[in-house]
Amino acid sequence: MVLSTIVESITDFVVQEPKISGLIIGLIAAAIIASVINVGAMGVVWLERKVLGDMTNRFGPCRVGTRWGILQLVADAIKLFTKEDSIPRGADRPIYVWAPIVACITTMLVAAALPWGALNIGGVVYPLVAVNMDISAFFVEAALSLMAIGAFMAGWASNNKYSMLGAFRGMARMVSYEVPMGVCVISVAIMAHSLNIVEIVEAQSIWYIIAQPLGFVIFMIALVTDLGRIPFDQSEAEEEIIAGYVTEYGGIRWGLLYFQEYIIMLLGSVLLVHLFLGGWNGPVIPVISILSPMIWFLMKMILVLVFLIWVRGSLVRFRIDQVTDLGWKWLLPLSMVNLVWAVAVGVYFA
Amino acid sequence: MTTANDVLDALQSAFPGAIQEFRVESDNRLWATVDPNKIVEICKFLRDEEDFDHYSGAAGVDKIDEDLFEVTEILASHGAHPVVALLKVKTPRDTPSVKSLTGLFWNADWYEREIWEMFGINFEDHPGLYPLLLVDDLVGSWPWRKDFKGYPDYNTNERVLEKINPDGYAEYKISPTEAEIEAGTVPETRPEYPTFREREIMELETESEMILHMGPQHAIVPGPFMLDLRVDGERVKKAYLDVGYIHKGIEKILENRTYIQGIPITDRMCYLASLSNNEVFCGAAERIMGIEVPERAQYIRVILEELSRIQSHLLGTGEFLSLLGGATFSPFQWMILDREEIISCIESVTGARINHSFVRQGGVRNDLPDGFAEMTRSALKTVVDKTNEYKELLLSDNIYRKRMEGIGILSPEEARRFGLSGPPLRASDTPYDMRREDPILVYPDLDFNVISRKEGDSKARVEVRLDEIIESCHIVEQCLDQIPGGPIREKVSKKIKPAPGEAYYRVEDPRGEMGIFLVSDGSDKPVKVKVRGPVYAYMQALPPLLEGAYVADVVAIAGSMDACTSEVDR
Repeated sequence: MVLSTIVESITDFVVQEPKISGLIIGLIAAAIIASVINVGAMGVVWLERKVLGDMTNRFGPCRVGTRWGILQLVADAIKLFTKEDSIPRGADRPIYVWAPIVACITTMLVAAALPWGALNIGGVVYPLVAVNMDISAFFVEAALSLMAIGAFMAGWASNNKYSMLGAFRGMARMVSYEVPMGVCVISVAIMAHSLNIVEIVEAQSIWYIIAQPLGFVIFMIALVTDLGRIPFDQSEAEEEIIAGYVTEYGGIRWGLLYFQEYIIMLLGSVLLVHLFLGGWNGPVIPVISILSPMIWFLMKMILVLVFLIWVRGSLVRFRIDQVTDLGWKWLLPLSMVNLVWAVAVGVYFA
Repeated sequence: MTTANDVLDALQSAFPGAIQEFRVESDNRLWATVDPNKIVEICKFLRDEEDFDHYSGAAGVDKIDEDLFEVTEILASHGAHPVVALLKVKTPRDTPSVKSLTGLFWNADWYEREIWEMFGINFEDHPGLYPLLLVDDLVGSWPWRKDFKGYPDYNTNERVLEKINPDGYAEYKISPTEAEIEAGTVPETRPEYPTFREREIMELETESEMILHMGPQHAIVPGPFMLDLRVDGERVKKAYLDVGYIHKGIEKILENRTYIQGIPITDRMCYLASLSNNEVFCGAAERIMGIEVPERAQYIRVILEELSRIQSHLLGTGEFLSLLGGATFSPFQWMILDREEIISCIESVTGARINHSFVRQGGVRNDLPDGFAEMTRSALKTVVDKTNEYKELLLSDNIYRKRMEGIGILSPEEARRFGLSGPPLRASDTPYDMRREDPILVYPDLDFNVISRKEGDSKARVEVRLDEIIESCHIVEQCLDQIPGGPIREKVSKKIKPAPGEAYYRVEDPRGEMGIFLVSDGSDKPVKVKVRGPVYAYMQALPPLLEGAYVADVVAIAGSMDACTSEVDR
């Protein structure tokens, strides 16, 4: 009885005040998204430590929080929060302070437009997405390239030679890889006849990794570059320029910049799953059919994450000129070839 | 084959009267005291006519009884003949001055700078006599002179004057007390010269250039040293190197220890090569004493030194790979694991993992334990298998090859001119190995190849190291098969007092030519110990090698040298 009254009054409120209720729903969605990606990113950090540990013959975290070290991240966060907050004397203070925040905001922008799996209720698949935009693929791509701004701000404001070199390297890398990456997204959109990620997923009766393998490879390389992970971590190459653009950061400011990378890693693998691996598509699992799309989605995502970690453990770093060479001279022409292929195949099957 | 006598005859016929004294110690050691005015001509003759193209170093000795300084130039040849010529030049103590050899040998630069800052011996025509190892505050005290009274106590905090300069950074100045000035521990006059920082800033040309510091604390450096790069964007225009951040004064300490007490000190020169360092110190004393080490002890020394070479190369290569690919690049940790097996083998004999202090004058400290042969054989088998795997891995890794091939190329002529030795020299098509050139212990009885490569780039240097691991395994296996029974130490009195004399003894360290020039005056402590380390030469060769490279390649070049700063500074 009580429950139905509450539901009724909420429905009335939504009908009477659509603007206010929209705002409230938006805030709730934002809170859910923020907690999901943060907890998810913590999971990614833990996964990376464990997998890398195994690859390099170590245990990884194994003391804090059972023998699996699950609470290690919490301990790290407490340490970072309680550290002294120091700003270098020569730093450009406002930019220095805002850089980590800008970096985090851009990741949230990406997260808002990405579907976080789906639920199968009575045979109908409902995607879990905060903002279902018509141009979400384009929006995600744009927001991803904003990420370099935060890193550049950090490098510029630190008043440090290593930071500066790291920031320049990051910018050069971003410019040479966003273009092929964007072309790949366009190829996918052409095949799916839509820029909406939900519709792109629904259009994948054949996964696009099979329909355009070249596009997948290019997108994968560009994604690793965008994430700034080995072999493309020139902007923070520890052995050359100490820590690149984060050299002068400490405490929770550093923590935010560090964590932001893992959030982007999570978002990047979600994007890859949606664009090329068929998102939550997969055979319906009996008994738990409601969760079936979710399970497929998570499985694919973890697979991509482990692949990314594997790459880090087994490759050495490129030089920055080799990176831009690869981007402009190989990936861009090849992505054009892929675009032509996508148009041809798309038209043939249309 | 040319012997020391042939060289002496040629010298005497070319420069009649210039050789004041001479001593032919053996077929491959020639000692001569030469006329100070003719040293440059004699060295030029030796270099051009007698193939002495390897300037191995120089040592200064303070002969306070004779009121003289002696500078000994050590010359050798890259494979043409095994003779080492040690030419002594004498100079009075009140106005010490010797002619510089920098015009003939490029790498004489650092050796002469070191002698200048330590003894105050001036080198005529030297292009830049700046201190190398000492702090600017201490230059002028000439610490290696025998009448050196000690430094002022700079550790007292109350005497530190802190001043904030206009850029907002603190500058520290430490002033000596009046008592110290009176006692003579503070020099009255100091030489004037531009400091390291001033010298590099003077060379900045355009607005877009900047000095990028790599060191003294930086991820690439294996120990503290200052590598400053003048960069324009990502390009290195010029590199400047400053060493001496961990100068421990080991040579001076050795002068104040008996021969036995000195052994643990030599461990500390380089923690990866402590067995070779023991060997070279004890071997030099054995040369003066004229004792022959029992055969079993010789085999034990060879086994342990080769094992030590294997573990050093494994760590060196692993560390280098971690420089290229971050600390998470997996092969590094796997090499550490392989090294662990080798270290356990060494530990079972010496009881220590890093600082062994194992070799003794006249033999070794203790015998091989039971089961050592089996344990070592199984460890070597693992290492050989794994090393072949690493070679395959690195050969098939395209990114690795893209980073390493054609980077930091040293032509054979350049590598010889820089005075390099060990893997970097052998990677430049020069199979120069002390185990072949200057055979010691039982090396002549053993069958092994000297590994060399033609390319001379960073990749070749790493490949030479990996191949040497396999070759060393082969040597150790032979030794385990051939080792005879018998005593492990010649009877030497507990208080070692070698007869007055001098010796130059060199071994093949994991990193190259390691030599000790030892002078004894018949007492239980050496008069002078001069260490000629291989890494010293690597470091000296680094700045010209880095010119024109990218910042990222600095890591690939400097890392492939497998340097050990501790040994440079000593």
